[in-house]
Amino acid sequence: MNEVKIKSNNLNVFYGDKQALFDVNLDLNEKEVTALIGPSGCGKSTFIRCINRMNDVIDICKVTGNIEIDGVEINDENLDVVSLRERVGMVFQKPNPFPKSIYDNISYGPKIHGKGETKSELDEIVERSLKKAALWEEVKDRLDEPGTGLSGGQQQRLCIARAISVNPEVILMDEPCSALDPIATAKIEELIDELKKTYTIVIVTHSMAQAVRVSQKTGFFHLGKLIEVGKTEKIFKNPDNKMTQDYITGRFG
Amino acid sequence: MSNEHTVKSYEEELQFLVDSVIKMGSLTESQMVDSMDAIIKVDKDSIDKIIKSDDEINKFRSKIDTQIMTLLVKRAPMAIDLRETISSLKISQDLERIGDLSKSNAKKVKPLPLDLPEELLSNLKRLGELVIKQLNDVLDSYVNKNYDKAKEVWKKDEQVDDLTYIAMESVIDFLSKDKKNLDFSTHLIFATKNLERAGDHITNIAESICYLIKGEYLKGSRPKGKVIQE
Amino acid sequence: MTKEQRLKKRHSAERRFRFYGIASICVALLFVLILVNNIFSKGSSAFMKTVIDVEVFYDPELIEIENGASEENIREADFYDITIETLLKSYPAKNLDEENELIDLFTTDAEIEIKKAFLENNNLIGKKINLEITSSDDIDQLHKGNYPRDLPEDRRRISNFQLKIYDTLVENNKINKNFNNYYFNNGDSRDPELAGIGGALVGSFYSIIICLLLAFPVAVLASIYLEEFAPKNKITDFIEININNLAAVPSIVYGLLALQILLATIQLPRSTPLVAGITLALMTLPRIIIPCRASLKAVPPSIREGALAVGASKFQSVFHHVVPLSLPGTLSGTIIGLAQALGETAPLILIGMVAFVVDIPSTPIDPSSSLPVQVYLWSESAERGFVEKTSATIMMLLSFLIVMNFIAVYLRQKFEKRWN
Repeated sequence: MNEVKIKSNNLNVFYGDKQALFDVNLDLNEKEVTALIGPSGCGKSTFIRCINRMNDVIDICKVTGNIEIDGVEINDENLDVVSLRERVGMVFQKPNPFPKSIYDNISYGPKIHGKGETKSELDEIVERSLKKAALWEEVKDRLDEPGTGLSGGQQQRLCIARAISVNPEVILMDEPCSALDPIATAKIEELIDELKKTYTIVIVTHSMAQAVRVSQKTGFFHLGKLIEVGKTEKIFKNPDNKMTQDYITGRFG
Repeated sequence: MSNEHTVKSYEEELQFLVDSVIKMGSLTESQMVDSMDAIIKVDKDSIDKIIKSDDEINKFRSKIDTQIMTLLVKRAPMAIDLRETISSLKISQDLERIGDLSKSNAKKVKPLPLDLPEELLSNLKRLGELVIKQLNDVLDSYVNKNYDKAKEVWKKDEQVDDLTYIAMESVIDFLSKDKKNLDFSTHLIFATKNLERAGDHITNIAESICYLIKGEYLKGSRPKGKVIQE
Repeated sequence: MTKEQRLKKRHSAERRFRFYGIASICVALLFVLILVNNIFSKGSSAFMKTVIDVEVFYDPELIEIENGASEENIREADFYDITIETLLKSYPAKNLDEENELIDLFTTDAEIEIKKAFLENNNLIGKKINLEITSSDDIDQLHKGNYPRDLPEDRRRISNFQLKIYDTLVENNKINKNFNNYYFNNGDSRDPELAGIGGALVGSFYSIIICLLLAFPVAVLASIYLEEFAPKNKITDFIEININNLAAVPSIVYGLLALQILLATIQLPRSTPLVAGITLALMTLPRIIIPCRASLKAVPPSIREGALAVGASKFQSVFHHVVPLSLPGTLSGTIIGLAQALGETAPLILIGMVAFVVDIPSTPIDPSSSLPVQVYLWSESAERGFVEKTSATIMMLLSFLIVMNFIAVYLRQKFEKRWN
């Protein structure tokens, strides 16, 4: 088992009066894929949005408790969220490339963080990121075409490349394949397998099969609580908690 | 299973699979009873019937295989459902092997003389009764998903081994008395060994049932009684 | 009811609805057609003017300057005598009354026109040239066929003698139609043949530029702040409601506001494009903020999240991504807001732009008129010549509005990015 990268401790999240997460204690290991499963609205997306403080965008959202990355508290008002998000990239449910060229999509992050001062450095970052996202071969001849013109799966890989471009330590994926066809999904899953050698990955998914395929660790959320977490194999073959079992076997009601 | 599946037909398919295994089990059981009867009574008329019933068991086996394939493809079962499916596969395999052994035993009846000594048969009969009881118990534990009962069966395999040893001893004794007994004694030794093998398959089934219920394999090595050196 | 009956009923209901729709579009088109036809038929003639061909003799005895005089001297020189001489020569008049009637056939600016011809070529002393002098408004209207000849003389503005001169001139091919340069170059005038929209055009142009300079940055910044940065609370809700209310406030209220604050309190010069621009900016502000906010809202949140997720700050995500994407909507909203401002009359009347201004303003703080106010002014005037001028000005105003709207649509379609 790898070392713990992210550690949450009694994490509570409130949207106004409504509590979305209850005392979540979850450790995520370095260079491993952790899958979060659970019915819609169970708080798994809320949880990963705490890791890069994306919930800050929502006015009524309040987060208590601790999240540590490498032992450093990130749920701290004085922490610069921009440098946090530089370390923790995110890929969303719907592919959301900027309506700009493929090149600009990827060079944007490095540019605003002052990485890649010269054109040749940027070129290199773009090429490296696209190669890592397994998209280079498909787009190398049309880097100046708009990113929105790609197919759904390519767009999602472009978004992954964009996340990689700033060289993060953690990549959060919020149902990255829910809008994609099976082939595109397979490509992304293959990519995740490759990426986990370099990055710590957290993926929220509704597909059990996908969780089994890509992850080493799985956490099951229900109604804002972390019900069970453990090795993926264990969770899907023989979960300890009856609720987990009912959910993954489709007996939820 | 307190909760039902959200998809009703999934529930039905799983239940149908379990039912098939149970039916196959009872068929195997009655075949074994028949073959034991045939040996004890040296009833050469029932051989054909027993061989025929093995065909039926084999058919069941392939039917269950198909069901399992369909279920795996269609439902991608997880956790308890996955274990249910996989154990059905394994149990049906073991049952089929048990059926084969019963058939083989029935075939051994043909060359037996009608005047076998009582003592020789009584040891074999005791072994046979124990194996039949074991099979009955293991099927019971499968139907009721009874972990303790399955574990008991698993432990009792020791007794099967012991009785096999005793039955073997008496056959070897008998054989050493008169060399002209060699022909049918060999058949009796095979029959005894077959019963012991059936006991092993029953133990396998007990293990599968324990895994199905608890999700983990029984710990420790299998209980072993006295073993005949082969 | 059987199935067939229901089906039939549904079909006929659909047919009826389609018919109502087409009919209402036809009615609307008919009204537009009537309006446009009315304006065009009345207004198009204003772009031409009637001129009378005369022979000018720059008699050295009648003027005090010589060939090669400086421009300043010429401007100061008196061409009145030559003008009278020239005009009287165009037709034999027997007495003083007839002479006056003859002179009345020409524009009051005949002297200026003769002087201008001299200015262009200042060694005409002692020479004769043929010059086309603009006719008076009455002859102009008569020649364009807008004036009835068969009224009794005492109810006509043109005497029988003048009619006779006119007929003779027509017979001798002395009367022509030329492009009406006065209409575009001149400011307002009491004489219809001299009145033009030059002053109003420049006034309107200055007003709109000032309005744009004031309203656009304020509206864009306000809407970006409200939409992207402001906390959502009671105060911002209150501001939002009031912006919507302000957009619906009658424009004359803004006129009153400007009258009180800009003219009475701050004492800015009245009737100027500066004040008009400020007033129009006040009025246009909420009308630009609303489409700006709508186009910011239309940028999907996923773009913002995407930018934030790669570590852009809030400010960067807004100004690098959201604002550029909303720009087509923002610009077209602004242009449409300005187009409305361009056609606004009521507040301008209140701040004194309705004053009679002859000179073309050279700076935004000179008194001036504006296109819609010019329409209003001329529509009030009695002279026949102003009727066609009113319509022509409406045509000008409409074509500006159409061009602006076209630019707005073009910008939106050209630069609107699609995201999926």
